[in-house]
Amino acid sequence: MKDREMKDYYLWDRSGEPDAEVQELEEILGTLRYQPQLLEIPRNIQFERRRSFFPAMAIAAAIALAAVLLGLWFSFNRRQAPAFDAKHDKQIDQHLNSPQPLISPDPTRVEVAVDPQPRAIQKHSTAPRNLLASNQSRRSVIRQPVLTPKELAEKEQVLVALRLVSAKLNLAQRKTQGTPQLNSIRNQHKMG
Amino acid sequence: MLEVEATADMLLMTQPFTAHVATDEPVEVVLVKAVLSGERDRFARLYEMYAPLVHGILLARVPRGEVDDLVQDIFLHALRKLHTLRDATAFGPWIAMIARNRAMDFYRGSRETVEVTEQMAIERPPNRTAKEILDLICRLPDAYRETLVLRFVEGMTGPEIAARTGLTPASVRVNLHRGVKLLREKIGATTV
Repeated sequence: MKDREMKDYYLWDRSGEPDAEVQELEEILGTLRYQPQLLEIPRNIQFERRRSFFPAMAIAAAIALAAVLLGLWFSFNRRQAPAFDAKHDKQIDQHLNSPQPLISPDPTRVEVAVDPQPRAIQKHSTAPRNLLASNQSRRSVIRQPVLTPKELAEKEQVLVALRLVSAKLNLAQRKTQGTPQLNSIRNQHKMG
Repeated sequence: MLEVEATADMLLMTQPFTAHVATDEPVEVVLVKAVLSGERDRFARLYEMYAPLVHGILLARVPRGEVDDLVQDIFLHALRKLHTLRDATAFGPWIAMIARNRAMDFYRGSRETVEVTEQMAIERPPNRTAKEILDLICRLPDAYRETLVLRFVEGMTGPEIAARTGLTPASVRVNLHRGVKLLREKIGATTV
C-alpha cells in the first residue's frame, strides 16, 4: 500500500520512488513531444486593439452638457423679459377700438356711442413681445361682484322663486310617476 | 522574474532587455501587458511557454500531422484576439480553450483529408509503439486523455498541468490516476 502511494507521488510530480511502468510510458511517448519551432508572425497581421469608447463618450457628454446649458440660458432669458402674450395684446387692442355701450337714463334704450376719432393705440413698443409658446400655469382669479343691498334683496327674491318652481315641478313629477308621497305619515293609523 | 525575462530575451534575441519595475505579477501578466502595449515580439515568449500545452491538447484530439500547423494557427489567432483576454493571469486556460475549440472545429468543418505520401513517411519516421499507445490514450474520455498526454508526452508534472490548464490540482490528480488505470487496462487488453 505504501509502495503504491510512493509510485503515485512519482506519477503526480516525479517525486518518490519511480514507477517503472510510468517511466516506460514517459520514454515511449516522450518521442512525440513538442519540438520547439519559431512562431512566424506575419508583418501584415491585423493586431486588433482594445476598442476605446472614451472619445465617443466624451463627445456625447459634451453635447449633453451644451444642450443643458442652452436650455438654462433660454429659461433664464425668458424670465427676465416681460411676458406679454400676443393674445393679451390683441384683446387690449380690440377693447380700445370697439364702440363702448353707454347706459342711457331710459332703461328701454341702449345707446352706442362711437368715438369719431379713434384713440391712439398705445403699444408697448419698448418691450419686445414674447411670442414663444409658454406652458405657464394660468391662475384665473374669480372676482366676486360687489352687490348693493337692493341688488341682494332682488337676488334673494329670484332664488326663492326658483326654489318654489323647483318644488312644484318635483311634486308634479311624483304625481305623474305614481310614486308615493314623501309625507306618508297619514297612512300609519291603518297599521296600528 | 526579471532573470526569467532577461534570459528569454537573450535566448530569443527579440529585443534588448529593458528593466521593468520588479512586481509580484506573474510572467504571463507582464508579457500580456507588454504585447498589448505594442511590444509584439514579447508574444514569442508566451508562445515558448505555452506551445507544449497547446501541442499536447491538440495531440490528444487531432491527427499528428495537423498538430504543428494548428499550433501556429492558434497562437496567431490568440495574438489577434489578445485584447479580449480580461484576466491576463488566465492566459493558459484561455489558450487551452482556444485549442480545444479549434480541435473541435477541425472535425466539424469540411476539411480535406491529407493523403499520406511516401515523402511524409520519410520525414516522420513512424514510432509504432508510441503511436499505438497514443491511439489508446485518444480512446479515453476527454479529461483523461488530455491530462495523460500532457503528463507523458509533454513531460509536465501534475502541478504544472493544473497551473497551465486552470484545472484544480485535485481534478488533475484524479484524471491522472483514473486515466493511467484505464490505460493499463487497454494496454493489457491489446497485448493479450
